[in-house]
Amino acid sequence: MKIPLTFVLNNQETTLMIDPGQTLLEVLRGQGGMTSVHRSCEEGECGACTVLLDDEPVNACLVLAASVQGASVMTSEGLVKDGTPHPLMKAFTDELGIQCGFCTPGMLMNAYALIRKAGDTELTDAVIRKTLEGNLCRCTGYVNIVKSVKTAQKLKMAGEWW
Amino acid sequence: MKKREERLILGKGEYADDLEFMNMGHLVFVGSPHAHARIVSIDTTRALALSGVITVITGKEVAAHTRHLPVQANFTSKGWTWRLAEVYAISSDKVRWYGEPVAAVVAETEAIARQAADLVTVEYDILPLAGDLRTALEPGAPKVYEDWEDNKQVHLVFDFGDPEQAFAMADQVLHVTNREGRVTGLPIEPRGCVGVYDRKNDSLEMWGSFQTPFLARHNIAATLGIPEAKVKINAVDIGGAFGLKIHAWKENVVALASKLTGRPVKWMEPHRDFVTTGPHQRDVFWEGKIAFKNDGTLLGLDATVYHDLGVESTNKGIAALSIFPACSSPTNMYKWVGMHVEGIGTVTNKSFYCAYRGYGKDKGIKFIESAINQVAKQLNMTPEAIRMKNFIQPDEFPYHQINNYVLDSGDYPAVLEKAMEMADLESVRERKKKLAAQGRYLGIGLITAIEPAGVAVPNCQMGGITEARVLITPDGSVEVHSDRTEIGQGTEISHATIVADILGMDPAQIHVKRVTSDFIGQGPLSSRGAVYPASAVAKAARLLREKVVKCASSVLKISPDQVVLENGFIYPADAPEQKISYARFAEKVFFFPGPRGLDPEMLKAHDHLLDVTTTWYSPTTPESGSSYTSFCVSADIAVVEVDIDTGVTQIVKYVHVHDAGTIINAQVVDGQIHGGIVQGIGEALYEGLNYDETGKLLNTSFSNYLIPTSVEAPDIEIAHLETPSPFSETGSKGMGEAPIIGSKAVILDAIEDALTPFGIRVNDAPATPEKVRAWIRKATGQDE
Repeated sequence: MKIPLTFVLNNQETTLMIDPGQTLLEVLRGQGGMTSVHRSCEEGECGACTVLLDDEPVNACLVLAASVQGASVMTSEGLVKDGTPHPLMKAFTDELGIQCGFCTPGMLMNAYALIRKAGDTELTDAVIRKTLEGNLCRCTGYVNIVKSVKTAQKLKMAGEWW
Repeated sequence: MKKREERLILGKGEYADDLEFMNMGHLVFVGSPHAHARIVSIDTTRALALSGVITVITGKEVAAHTRHLPVQANFTSKGWTWRLAEVYAISSDKVRWYGEPVAAVVAETEAIARQAADLVTVEYDILPLAGDLRTALEPGAPKVYEDWEDNKQVHLVFDFGDPEQAFAMADQVLHVTNREGRVTGLPIEPRGCVGVYDRKNDSLEMWGSFQTPFLARHNIAATLGIPEAKVKINAVDIGGAFGLKIHAWKENVVALASKLTGRPVKWMEPHRDFVTTGPHQRDVFWEGKIAFKNDGTLLGLDATVYHDLGVESTNKGIAALSIFPACSSPTNMYKWVGMHVEGIGTVTNKSFYCAYRGYGKDKGIKFIESAINQVAKQLNMTPEAIRMKNFIQPDEFPYHQINNYVLDSGDYPAVLEKAMEMADLESVRERKKKLAAQGRYLGIGLITAIEPAGVAVPNCQMGGITEARVLITPDGSVEVHSDRTEIGQGTEISHATIVADILGMDPAQIHVKRVTSDFIGQGPLSSRGAVYPASAVAKAARLLREKVVKCASSVLKISPDQVVLENGFIYPADAPEQKISYARFAEKVFFFPGPRGLDPEMLKAHDHLLDVTTTWYSPTTPESGSSYTSFCVSADIAVVEVDIDTGVTQIVKYVHVHDAGTIINAQVVDGQIHGGIVQGIGEALYEGLNYDETGKLLNTSFSNYLIPTSVEAPDIEIAHLETPSPFSETGSKGMGEAPIIGSKAVILDAIEDALTPFGIRVNDAPATPEKVRAWIRKATGQDE
């Protein structure tokens, strides 16, 4: 039995037919076509499937899809505007905060929420590291990721942001 | 420039899990809950009865339709022990490790396949266990392979230089041991692929997370009994590999499933299975004696390294071979009189051994570095002083080491001096004294290493030969093909830079193609990337440049030595205004050369095609037998603070100085250093695969197999020196594995230094808080 799920996906109202038992991860990757949301541990440990649910980062593998009825969900695809990379994405490319790229989309969403919440407060290494703790990366040693987030915040403060 | 990175950042990655084919079936493996058991019966009735299940493959089908997995390394001829086993992708008679697949379910969806996997009923007759290294070698121990005399798979014996003389010259001899726990490299993305068997042409094509498509093709084709010429393997975007995606064996079952069902079949390994049935590494115990003079001169080593291989390791992967570099690498970067080293590989009821960053060459270096620091303590020398005394000097390269390695180049003292300067060693030592007075335990670790990089070994699948192709299309864009898959280590950036520099083009014009099995090579393993494929690509680009110059001299009607290639344009040296773009040039050469447009001699020689395929092989290996071509140099200094009440180690400062020859892209090199160091820290402090007494693996997920998060990872200070390698085409040296070697060793060394007041030897990784506390309790008599 399929049920309709209506929610805002990357700023667009969307209705998808889902199985009641499907996770948000399955629905986003499957019916939603958002393949930047990566599947790895399926138990909320790795952070590769991090998306924003009503602006808060969540592990999509732990969220029942049916529970997001009426809510807003944002994936890293939603950061792209008219094919142009978001300044946060540009920062990750420039600083090479990306190697294999598998953890990157989840990392971006968590960093995006962090930078937005920080407002005018300059983010310290410690705060960035603490916030990204739930997004595991095996390639970068996190050094360039921390650098990317700081660069991104500078871009935001310079007015380059959406 | 960063085309791939931009694509991935935009969410346009195509990883194995993103692959979709029409009418695709999904495969899920059924794993054994027992570590060692005879399979009495398998009942697939209930699974097959589930709606949506297409087929169930057990060991019987695998035995009926495939051959056993091919042998990837065989050294039987040398008088050493080197045992082989006939192993199928799925066993039909018994299981030998916890999680070993006993069946594979193919269904319309992955969810149905998972559900059906739980309905496959297997009756087991549990067998006694060969559970660990020591008990597995005891007389009468349960045998993992019945037809073997015992559980020893490999026993290698090496005499390098003159070991007897070394010990005869010695003033002192120290007994040294070192243990490294069992770990896994664990990329965040597990393995996965899609197999498409074409029944009309009896051919097979696969797409997936293949680190080495060329080898995967050989092994999959051999298993399925299909000519290699009818099999093609394509690497898609790969979410990290570190050696763990080299081997192919479950992939063979995916190929078989496609052949049997006539449908594309996808398999995406659950992360838990990646740990339980994935490749494991390290798990070694070293024991030996180091000989030296009272003035600190190192002389020799007599040591044995015992490996817990898990199940046999010559055909799922190729890691029995890693015992060779483990035995050879203790020479590191010093002068020696002689060494006697034995390497023993024992099979046990654990998952198999395969490659992980370091492979084996890391093991000898970590052992000898730890031993040398013991010698320094014994002689009241500083760790830097004993190294300075024994380093091979800058004017001695190329240096023929006693183990036949031909060390290419470097300035070892300069690398260490730079690290000492950056760490401000003297003032850190002062600080340590001050803190000691306050009851705090600061420790300073110092390690130096060379990384043998770019492997080529006979009698195994790591033969070395590597192919590359560089061509210019009629619109002036450039294709670059090689065996070097992109696993996040910067293949695309590096190859685009090399080719653009040689052809005088903008890197944006260079298109580094996805790797397929069409190009010969072992892929990016053993830090081969900057050595073999980069050299093959540079060589092809240089040969192509010669062709471009010849054609351009015809097109521009000037002599070849007047042709300039720069910034995407071609022009006469004395008339830059006559420049033509590569696009214009290529179109003219291909389609509009005119009847006399190209040199008739070139036409007669059929040499005007702007397309070069070539191969590259080490210039040193054929003469010397040196299995590695370049030797990157590094020095690591770490400062840690150990909380003796909790056993927790905090990294206060981390300095890494390295010399990997000519740097092609500094960001890429830094990224390799950061990542490798943090993986080494994980091994030093947290990571360990623990099996219980029944052979069950206890930590199978990120929640209990702890890898460093952004909080545990330290800031890392890096400095680069650049002494070009005379043996690679670009002057670069392989360096991807160096950081994981030094970092693991240096953290353990720093902890030992911090615990000096307790007299504790830190020679058993990982140094978890629990273990550190146990050492302190024992040292202070609290256990009594």
